Amino acid sequence: MFCTQCGANNADSAIICVQCGRNLGTGPPLSAPSTTLSQMPGASVPNYLVFAIIVTVLCCLPAGIPAIIYAAQVNGKLQAGDIAGAQSASKNAKMWCWIALGAGVAVCLFYGLLIGAKVMSHMHR
Amino acid sequence: MRRLRKYALPVGAFLVVAVTAALDFFDPATSGIFPPCPLQYLTGWYCPGCGSLRALHQLLHGNLLAAWELNPLTIVLLPFLAYGVASYVVFKVRGQYLPRLFLPALWIRALCGLIILFGIARNIPVYPFELLAPGGALHP
Repeated sequence: MFCTQCGANNADSAIICVQCGRNLGTGPPLSAPSTTLSQMPGASVPNYLVFAIIVTVLCCLPAGIPAIIYAAQVNGKLQAGDIAGAQSASKNAKMWCWIALGAGVAVCLFYGLLIGAKVMSHMHR
Repeated sequence: MRRLRKYALPVGAFLVVAVTAALDFFDPATSGIFPPCPLQYLTGWYCPGCGSLRALHQLLHGNLLAAWELNPLTIVLLPFLAYGVASYVVFKVRGQYLPRLFLPALWIRALCGLIILFGIARNIPVYPFELLAPGGALHP
């Protein structure tokens, strides 16, 4: 099916346009083009992309990479109209985000303990 | 879990403010209060995020160029990340997201590839890749 907004060719089962994100299903008529996804059924499937990038780039942890890949999968499944698949990928994205964040926090706590131990040993001298 | 969720926003906001204040006051380049990157500590390699804390410190002090030289990727992604965080906060407070961008899956995969390639390239000690290392453009 062709998108009514930008003309891109989409899979027949697609609920949103791959190019512009327009709702292809029982969406609003052309006179009310929706560029936001918040009203769409699939929009409630979060992909945690921002969270994933933050843990990858700011905590610099490799566990953030699977989170980004799952975030891509969420949007890919949404584009193909597979809501259940998107929800399952969303769960995985969330899990990897928390694994990465947990590992980052663990490193910080471990470092804090090391510093604490150092300070203590100086005080005892 | 429900009860914990109620505290997520105030606790998260407090942590963000505390870390921002610490980043503003202490320079990660010279201060020992920030933990070293475990990957760099163990292997000596730069990861895609290496220099991002130092870059944020420079940014808080208005030194965009110094921040760019420490980690250009962070600076490029920062507006997008800031918008995402702002959208999340607005959703928590007012129950409605800011207008959301829908990134096609291909773009996200390309971004993932870019992050990995950036991480590899900045470890290559040859011009021009060495410019991508933290502080690299300062010492060409």
